[in-house]
Amino acid sequence: MLSFLNRRTGRRPGNAYLWCGLAALLLFASTAAQAVPSYARQTGAACADCHAGAYGPALTPYGMRFKLNGYTDTDGNGGKIPLAAQLIATRSVPARGESTTRLTEADLYLAGRLTDQIGGYVKVENSNTGNNTFRTRLNNIDLRFVARDLKLGDREATLGVSVNNNPGFQDPIGALPGAAGIGPPSVSGTLLNLSALAHRVIGASIYGLYDSAWYGEVGSYTSLPTSQQDHLGYAVSGDPGKLSDTGYVRFAYMKDLKRQFFSAGVVALSTRRQLPRSGPRDDLTDLGYDLSYQFLGNREHIVQLSYTNILEKRRYGSTPAAARARGIVRDQTTSLTYTFRQSWGITLAHLVNSGSRDAVRYTPYGVPDTTSNLIGVSWAPFGKDDSYTSLANLKIAATWFRFARFNGSRTNVFGTAPGSAAPVTDARDLDAFSLSLSAAF
Amino acid sequence: MTRWLLRGVAACCLGAALAPPPARAGDVAAGTDVFKAECAECHSVRAGRNKKGPSLFAVTNRAAGTLPGYNYSDALRAARWTWTPEKLRDYLSRPAAQANPGTRMKYDGLADPTELDDLVAYLGTLHP
Repeated sequence: MLSFLNRRTGRRPGNAYLWCGLAALLLFASTAAQAVPSYARQTGAACADCHAGAYGPALTPYGMRFKLNGYTDTDGNGGKIPLAAQLIATRSVPARGESTTRLTEADLYLAGRLTDQIGGYVKVENSNTGNNTFRTRLNNIDLRFVARDLKLGDREATLGVSVNNNPGFQDPIGALPGAAGIGPPSVSGTLLNLSALAHRVIGASIYGLYDSAWYGEVGSYTSLPTSQQDHLGYAVSGDPGKLSDTGYVRFAYMKDLKRQFFSAGVVALSTRRQLPRSGPRDDLTDLGYDLSYQFLGNREHIVQLSYTNILEKRRYGSTPAAARARGIVRDQTTSLTYTFRQSWGITLAHLVNSGSRDAVRYTPYGVPDTTSNLIGVSWAPFGKDDSYTSLANLKIAATWFRFARFNGSRTNVFGTAPGSAAPVTDARDLDAFSLSLSAAF
Repeated sequence: MTRWLLRGVAACCLGAALAPPPARAGDVAAGTDVFKAECAECHSVRAGRNKKGPSLFAVTNRAAGTLPGYNYSDALRAARWTWTPEKLRDYLSRPAAQANPGTRMKYDGLADPTELDDLVAYLGTLHP
């Protein structure tokens, strides 16, 4: 949902009512669960082994290895059905606009192993669009082939292939927006931010892990035809455009010290985009780096800290009068999560989107700058080794999303003309609170 | 005679210096923490609950590769040892691939002898 706002805002800023309505949808980003019970049944592991808060999405080092191993780890006994489901009910309270309480998602996961070398993750999302009308969409997919226990010299190596529809979602570390499930809201975000491209592209990458520490990945993506996007449940109006010469490169060092974990990585995504598809080509290049640290200890107190900085360089194919031919935007995400007894969690995130000045492309203030903060608390009672069930879970979460700046301003963010009948919208009018109950089984 | 005696004493001293340090009585509470950090992702302490690795409930003095319901690697099935405290200490002090070539277990070994003693002491408490 956050991605929807990002995508729309990057193209057609303007309608204050639309923005207010969409702001509440930001909250769903914090409930993007990836703790899939079918994985727990397959491995015998508890949800909390892979996710610090027992519900996700933040991965522990063990969860990262499970992902790198192509979701194929097992307890040695076959016959597990790779199906799971999730229900989410949400009370949304936007600062401006109508509060709602509804069943917001009913999801189906096809997630698990097919063989020792093939496994995957597929989420089919049924989201409530209002009036109890549900829209079915193909959410993230990540299908993998993996070759493990290889030897390079005297060191162990893993090689794999991932076919996925969301650049960054496949990343094992979980610092990139696609994998973390959070990125800065913006009127013009980077391609690697939540989800300029998500679910509307398809791509493949080859990845390798050497000596349990050095991770490398190279891949490419292409956008789906608009007709296929429509069939998969996505409005054609959100088409990311025609992509060509698209390359994705990721390199990271990670160290699992059992009681602590740290990583440092770089990422790049480059493409030539035609939007609209018959229009001129824009050259877009994302260059990013990320740092993460986890204190795990004896799992009583877990602290996870990450910082991601992605710079996008743009060279526009067409330049209206007075517009700049080139520009940059930058997305920065800093997040800190503390988890007590793998059940109680508090997350603080600072999200910053900024860009170079362009009076034509970013009206009315000439810069896209948006700054927001997320504060979330959650409780997941199950999913631990010693809980009533370790193979299913509940999560109750409260989330505040606060905007300090939007579309380059703190006040009148859409530049409503004095005397206009339309209400003036300040950044804080986009704030929202939500209370959600999620169940995965 | 004196020379032989001195040689014997020297040999004993050298042997004592090269031998692994004797196991100390481990701290069970500390061993619980070691287990949670080092082992719990792959092993449960619940009876009958297997993860990637077999349940470690009542592992001490169990014959290797014999827990019913767990699909062991050929390497461990062929092992002919019992998980005595001494064997656990020796096994866990080394990379698993070295301690039992061919095993599926991925573990680099626990280098700290104190933690090793604590862990073995904790495992010794897991019994009916």
